[in-house]
Amino acid sequence: MTLLGLPYNTLVVAVGVAAVGFAAGVVGSLCVLRKRSLVGDAAAHATLVGVAGAFLATGRRDLATLLVGALSAAIAGLAALLLVRRFTRTRDDAATAIVIGVSFGLGITLVSGLPAWGYANSAGLEQFLLGHTAALTAADAMLLTGVACFATVVVTLLFKETTLVAFDAAFAAATGWPVLLIDAVIVGLVAVMVVAGLPAVGAVLVTALVVIPPVAARAWTDRMSTMLLLAGTMGLVAAVVGVLVSAAWPRLATGPLVVLAAAAIFGISFIAAPKRGWIARRLRDAARNA
Amino acid sequence: MLFGAATFFGGDPAIHGWAMATAAVVAASCALVGTLLVVRRMSLLGDAIGHAVLPGIAIAVLAGGRPGGLFVFVGAVAAALLTVWLIQGLRAAGGLAEDAGAGVVFTTLFAIGVVIISAAPAGTHIDPACVLAGDLTFIPFDTVTIADRAVPRAFLAATLSFAVLAAAAVATWKLQVFTAFDPAAARAAGVPVAAITAGLLAATAVATVASFDVVGAVLVVALLVVPAAAAELLAHRLHVMALIAMALAVVGACIGYLAAWHFNTNAAGMIAVVLGLEYIAAAILAPDDGVFARAFGRLRLAWRVAREDRLAGVWREEESAARGRSAVAAPSLLERCAAEWLRIDGSLVRDGGTWRLSPRGRRDAETVVRSHRLWEAWLGRHADLPLDHLHPPAEWVEHHLGAAMRRRIEVETGWRQSDPHGREIPPEA
Repeated sequence: MTLLGLPYNTLVVAVGVAAVGFAAGVVGSLCVLRKRSLVGDAAAHATLVGVAGAFLATGRRDLATLLVGALSAAIAGLAALLLVRRFTRTRDDAATAIVIGVSFGLGITLVSGLPAWGYANSAGLEQFLLGHTAALTAADAMLLTGVACFATVVVTLLFKETTLVAFDAAFAAATGWPVLLIDAVIVGLVAVMVVAGLPAVGAVLVTALVVIPPVAARAWTDRMSTMLLLAGTMGLVAAVVGVLVSAAWPRLATGPLVVLAAAAIFGISFIAAPKRGWIARRLRDAARNA
Repeated sequence: MLFGAATFFGGDPAIHGWAMATAAVVAASCALVGTLLVVRRMSLLGDAIGHAVLPGIAIAVLAGGRPGGLFVFVGAVAAALLTVWLIQGLRAAGGLAEDAGAGVVFTTLFAIGVVIISAAPAGTHIDPACVLAGDLTFIPFDTVTIADRAVPRAFLAATLSFAVLAAAAVATWKLQVFTAFDPAAARAAGVPVAAITAGLLAATAVATVASFDVVGAVLVVALLVVPAAAAELLAHRLHVMALIAMALAVVGACIGYLAAWHFNTNAAGMIAVVLGLEYIAAAILAPDDGVFARAFGRLRLAWRVAREDRLAGVWREEESAARGRSAVAAPSLLERCAAEWLRIDGSLVRDGGTWRLSPRGRRDAETVVRSHRLWEAWLGRHADLPLDHLHPPAEWVEHHLGAAMRRRIEVETGWRQSDPHGREIPPEA
């Protein structure tokens, strides 16, 4: 079965990755508004350790196993970030950079060492670095769609709470909301979406999936619900463009293409958005100075 | 196989020596620059630059530059400055927070770089795998001959950039320190803060490009930040921190390289892991700020407080007995241990069922009680607290007042002889 000249499998994978793009945009919006844009990056670079670790522990290479490992490692990376913050006087930016560098180094060490250590069938793990959707099956795409739906439903159910914390954590704390718990939910969802984005975008660039669409969407609107929907839609479009272009041009990894599509959407938003866009600002400045 | 360096080059020690020396020099360059990045809270900018030099390198190589050559250096520095300009431009023109802006800019530039490299014609001197994790495998074989010796080109480039960075650091160190710790005052004093910052960013780009072959674009953040952050826990002066960071980086690079050789895996990843272990060791063992040192300091304080409280307790028992009353709180378990210690120490004497103070113990006890009651007197005069609120703060402060402070309080409170409860303040020993 083909549609638009594309094989069935490519289409199913495109749908799965599109769902991930949508959910990542929605979840990322909360993170960007909470001014935690790069927390996802620390989680993302840590995932590689989990991918290699899950393969080492189980000997299996199916997507679900590897992603469970990736999620465990992402959470461990975030825990390491908390430990550094709690027990040392290293500042937050350096702590994030340490987790990014060291966890990625450990992941590279494991992935590179596996063949030499006698794990001959470990080929393919390195596709989690830059993303590669050609190898995904329809079942993998169903799994990704399920995770994306889960994350979107959680944000919908907790819309009021997460919005409140994202905009004004101090007010939320003062009025008795469990800010720490809600923060943990937001960061946990970001970790989940970073992991879900791994197969398509890869550990190095997946942070773009939770940062660029929200930042682009923010240029168009001041309403939270609109921003979430818009960021989700932009993430979805970027993901589909990336998957289809890399399907047509297999030498290219999917991840960079998804990021470039998102960056193009961002560029248009940043320049042309009404009110907050660059042109609108220049016109306002000109009018004020006239 | 995606990553190189998994199959090492047999056992020729000279070849390993060159590869290891290159890694060490590169690590030292990054640690030097990273020291300034870390104290200026620009660690994540270092990460962003590490990713973003990729398109600069890729375009320069496509345009005919040789990896490690001057043209590629220029391309990378241009890309680094473009990154910073874009991040700052997005903030100025669009009100975008710096971390969100960095997240947009470095991922985009890195993606452009990967696409250029993937689309490049076969035979171009850049390998997509090397971009991510470096590749030391071929470094020892691309050599130039100097004084009849074959020296790897990458080692020469690394040494040259280290020399340039070190010279620049020495020449501008005072200005760097001033700018790092008080940019506003530095600007007011006529320091060209913008130029100093731009110089630091250019230095970051140079260190990043020099280490590109060794560690790749993603792991360079480990070389930039981890040794510097570990050194920050060990040192309190910036030049000491820079020297320690460089030493940790060199040691980490050598151990990491040897471990990678031993375990037959990627050297850059292993170097990052060893640097991470160094950071953990520093966080635990640092003499002033380490987890152990602080736990030990808290234990020592708790022990001193217990000893002093027990001495003061015995002194108060004697005072109450002299006034014909006996209303004294029972000592805690820790204080009873402290009492046994004080007996061995010669400050307390066991007399039947009760404790008595030796002359030395009496002197120490009176110092504590004097601190306590002076503080109550001071609070009673200045803080307008009810009588029953004076004791708890004094119970805490009594362990922290030195002789000089006691004298000042004595003057402040007008040489009072008694505390607000009407009990005598013992004289200074």
